[in-house]
Amino acid sequence: MTLLRFAGGSLLAALVAAPAPAQELPNAKAVYDANCAACHATGIGGAPRTGDARAWSAPIGTGINALYANAIKGKGAMPPKGGNASLTDAQVMAAVNHIVGLTAAPARRTGAKPVDTSKGKLVYQVVCAACHTSGLAGAPKLGDAAAWASRLSAGPGSMYANAIKGKGAMPPKGGNASLPDADVRAAVDFMLTQMRGGTALPPAGAAAPNPAAPAAPAVSVPGAVVLAPAVYESADPNAFNRLMVAPGRRNPPPAEDGIHDPESPGTALLQAPLLSFQSLPRANLGNYVNWVTALGKKQIQPRWDTRDPKAEPAVMDLNIVREVKGSMPDVVFPHKQHTEWLDCSNCHPAIFTPEKGANQISMAAIMLGQKCGVCHGKVAFPISECRLCHARQKSAGARTVEGPSAGGGRQ
Amino acid sequence: MSARGKTVAAGAALVAGVMMLCGGEREARAEYGDVVMNNYSDAAGMRPAVFPHWFHRVRFRCKVCHSDLGIKFKAGGNEINMLKIIDGQFCGACHNGSVAWSVENCDLCHSAKPGTPTQVHDSTINLLGGAGTAPTGASAPAGKK
Repeated sequence: MTLLRFAGGSLLAALVAAPAPAQELPNAKAVYDANCAACHATGIGGAPRTGDARAWSAPIGTGINALYANAIKGKGAMPPKGGNASLTDAQVMAAVNHIVGLTAAPARRTGAKPVDTSKGKLVYQVVCAACHTSGLAGAPKLGDAAAWASRLSAGPGSMYANAIKGKGAMPPKGGNASLPDADVRAAVDFMLTQMRGGTALPPAGAAAPNPAAPAAPAVSVPGAVVLAPAVYESADPNAFNRLMVAPGRRNPPPAEDGIHDPESPGTALLQAPLLSFQSLPRANLGNYVNWVTALGKKQIQPRWDTRDPKAEPAVMDLNIVREVKGSMPDVVFPHKQHTEWLDCSNCHPAIFTPEKGANQISMAAIMLGQKCGVCHGKVAFPISECRLCHARQKSAGARTVEGPSAGGGRQ
Repeated sequence: MSARGKTVAAGAALVAGVMMLCGGEREARAEYGDVVMNNYSDAAGMRPAVFPHWFHRVRFRCKVCHSDLGIKFKAGGNEINMLKIIDGQFCGACHNGSVAWSVENCDLCHSAKPGTPTQVHDSTINLLGGAGTAPTGASAPAGKK
């Protein structure tokens, strides 16, 4: 077990050790010093610095053979064989091994976690959790050390490859082909840290925190989904607020949402909301999606008929202004946004009598799920978005009924 | 039960209620508008059904279900059962293997934790009634029908 924990903890070390059995040639250091050090010791031209585990984690993640190929043929600013065409391929490969050895060594010594797992956690939640939470289709479950150990024995490099290319029942990239390779690797890294018992525990073999470890960068994912730092649970000063959901904890996948049963085989098959919401305009509450804007921009194209994809609603553009008591701005009810989703008969006459002055509406009734509250506060934007309805200042000279206008009803 | 036993039980219930209201973060963080339906499921030994509004509104306007299919705006108020679904009513209008996957995929709907009460998750009524645990189907007046 100690060995196992060690393997998970010093991921980079294991990563390097497994796919690179080649012996380091005696002259490797000389080749490195003469040809590679000029750039790789200093970082000139964007070269990853020798010993910088962070900078090397991505290149190393592509596999040792890719590193050999890049070193021999050149890549980006790097000339073939570091600019010394007289080197043999074997010498170049030896130099690569030398760099990798120097880079992996600090990680091996300190057991420092070379990768930031917060991004991997998000990718895991959105893409991988469907199977790896429940163990669907034979997937190793998150945190199940025994199940992961047998896979890890082949080396993390092969795990990255399997995650990216798919293996057995697992589709490539977990079925999300648009995911960058780096994100898939981040998710694998995250799952490996969980095998060790979670990020809350110190990395196995770590005598002391590594002061040189780089700070966790802000994580952003395509689609502008922002994840809270992994320290949220303990450090967020707002953690006491039971009603406010921190950004990183919004839209959790079904298995973690508290309603779905993680033990149900169906739960694992359900789409994670974030997968659907990534490209949609954000809102502050509800699903954290601005559905009206999404519809207006045709980012979603929900059908108006069960089977006919071309059926279109008959949109009515008529604002109703309701003068309200007290200091609150008057309410502007836009028919337009409502008729894009609903039929007249949904509201008239059962909920609202279609007649001026015939409807008594109060916030108390709305909070109890009546009148506007039939939808608002259940599925349409919640009633805490006061100003989306109370949109017309009293001084503006409101009329009770007015013609088509763009005023009010911003969502 | 003795009077003392009743007092203890009532006290325990009160403490549980207060903890529920004042305790830390809400444990359920499901999507706004997720409807749990548990009219018959628990009694029948099935997990309660979850209807994800967000998933369906990406694909269909409200009108399709709430007008064409006649589904009332009330969680648990439609008395949906599997026979009606198989006959093409309610969910069965689409979940028939033609528009959407059909009813043999039991676990895709019946996926809630056993014992979850009928509710619209994260709704105003749930928030007012105790952090997502109130069965709105029983307590929520939902407009004139």
